[in-house]
Amino acid sequence: MRSTFMYLFVKSPFENLKRHADKVSECARMFSQAVACHIDKKCEEFDDLTDQVAKLESEADAIKRNIRGHMPRGILMPVDKFQFFMYLREQDKVLDAVEDALYWLSYRPQGVEDQVGEDLKFLVGKVVPAIENLSPLVEMATHFFKRKYKQKRVEIKSLIREIRRIENEADTLERELIHKIFTQIKDPLQVYFLIRLVETIGSIADHAQNASDMMRAMVST
Amino acid sequence: MNVLFFPGADSLVLGFATLLGLYMAANIGANDLANAMGTSVGSGALTMRQAVLAAMVFDLAGAVLAGGHVTNTIRQGMINPSLLAGSPEKLLLGMFAALLAAGIWVHIATHFGLPVSTTHSIVGAVVGFGILAVGFGGVSCGKVGAIALSWVISPLAGAIIGAAIYYLIQKKILSSDSPYRAAQNYAPWLLCMVFAVIVLSVIFKGLKNLHLHLGFGSALLIALPLSLAAGFGGKVFLSKLGGVGCRWIRGDEEEKVECVFGYLQIMTACYVAFAHGANDVANAVGPLAAIYSVVKTQTVAMQVEVPIWMLALGGAAVSLGLLFFGARVMQTIGKRITEITPVRGFSAEFGAATTILVCSRLGLPVSTTHVLVGSVVGVGFMRGMGVLDLRVIRNIISSWFITLPFTIALSMVLYKLFVFFLLS
Repeated sequence: MRSTFMYLFVKSPFENLKRHADKVSECARMFSQAVACHIDKKCEEFDDLTDQVAKLESEADAIKRNIRGHMPRGILMPVDKFQFFMYLREQDKVLDAVEDALYWLSYRPQGVEDQVGEDLKFLVGKVVPAIENLSPLVEMATHFFKRKYKQKRVEIKSLIREIRRIENEADTLERELIHKIFTQIKDPLQVYFLIRLVETIGSIADHAQNASDMMRAMVST
Repeated sequence: MNVLFFPGADSLVLGFATLLGLYMAANIGANDLANAMGTSVGSGALTMRQAVLAAMVFDLAGAVLAGGHVTNTIRQGMINPSLLAGSPEKLLLGMFAALLAAGIWVHIATHFGLPVSTTHSIVGAVVGFGILAVGFGGVSCGKVGAIALSWVISPLAGAIIGAAIYYLIQKKILSSDSPYRAAQNYAPWLLCMVFAVIVLSVIFKGLKNLHLHLGFGSALLIALPLSLAAGFGGKVFLSKLGGVGCRWIRGDEEEKVECVFGYLQIMTACYVAFAHGANDVANAVGPLAAIYSVVKTQTVAMQVEVPIWMLALGGAAVSLGLLFFGARVMQTIGKRITEITPVRGFSAEFGAATTILVCSRLGLPVSTTHVLVGSVVGVGFMRGMGVLDLRVIRNIISSWFITLPFTIALSMVLYKLFVFFLLS
């Protein structure tokens, strides 16, 4: 069989990008469960959830490597290849940050101070939707790059705005929480632990927003 | 005419040549035509059966109605046959050697998966025997140069036309607030354009095969109202008649627009098959026509039309090649190319078919597959395709540099052998 024409077409990396985004979404759900369980201190399955997140992270890593490994020079994409890789990197960093936060939590099995427990859960609840929006974002983008209808682009832009809004709120919450930690908690070890925890959780939303910014650049006309 | 090795040998050569020509034609059908139709199967515009049927009908039509020019180029355009007037048997053996050389090369290349073009093989092989038979002076450098140039230009032209069409569709239809209404408005014009090119290429001296001669003016006079009528028909089909068109689609605007382009793509698929018939059937039939003419008249005829039944025979062989060997290729392509939507498929096929048809009108044998690759990449550069592997282009260019020397040399060797053993 003469293959010239057939080999012109390469499998779209957006399929794998969606699988990667799905792993990220799945992690987000487990993350909020794990945090809630750790803070409530009646937690049996925290280690189990952390392990599962770690497993998801390594699976997502494999997908990421697969995407990068199949994009040689001389590939023509409907989007800028550089922007595509930047997006992938930020989406992957979301996962890394989730994993970091869970590991950090696990270093203090005795839990966190009661004053900030609810605040932390609230912060996590703010951050998680930002991550969960990445999967639909990729799905919409895949659709858009295939068919290029204006309406889909409008929807993508509004979802990106939503992610930015969430990140903004999470940022404000993060600053307030740090302020509260400094004023209400006296134990320096606790302060260090909590500040870094809050910053790591906040960075999850940051990376989600960075990813969506890259997507905005990809759909720009 | 000097007789060949034994009486009746020329008929034997004709028989073998016919078989070889049919083999080449079937090969073209199984590969080139399958590629061309695969895009429509991939986008879902046509099912496998519909695609095979449309390809068979329109390839044959293209071969018969617009296939003469390229056949003539291969038969007598590249080498000056008057130099062989005294020894028609040399033309007979030469064309046979060319057909055999091209057939062998295409077979080998296909076996190793090289992206060669049947067209290029035939052209190389004819040039090869021409150099030996009539010397460099008898090979029309202008014509051969033009053909070589057309191999570079035709994929580029396909790319430019495909990109332009896609750009227009994106600007005027996909980016509009109401894509379905925009599609209803613009689709008839696109239909009109396709019809104009087809009708023009058929009647503007294209009906030479039917011994009808028309100038550009009168051709335009016929083409214009016909294509306008086609456009109007399309408009009525899309908007007025209840139940047909795309109004029955329950989905959103997008689905409806894709449906409109699904119809348009069915048409461009036929258009591609037609253009393919006009250009590629000639490759197999060209040498055969030369051999037939020698055997029949026992002279080197200067101005004999290619018999229409021969074009039909070539077209039929291409169709059967597609039916028996190309269906599998087409299915594989259709499954693999899921990234092609009707909009993309329409743009690429329109660019390719228009280029091929114009080239056949000019008597330039070009590679259908290469032009199609060009137009797909053109749409890709408008960010209108999925992910494309541009290294294929490098392979295509290297295939030019392998095919020509090989077929030229092989056809020379075969010609020498035939002359040595068969010419008394």
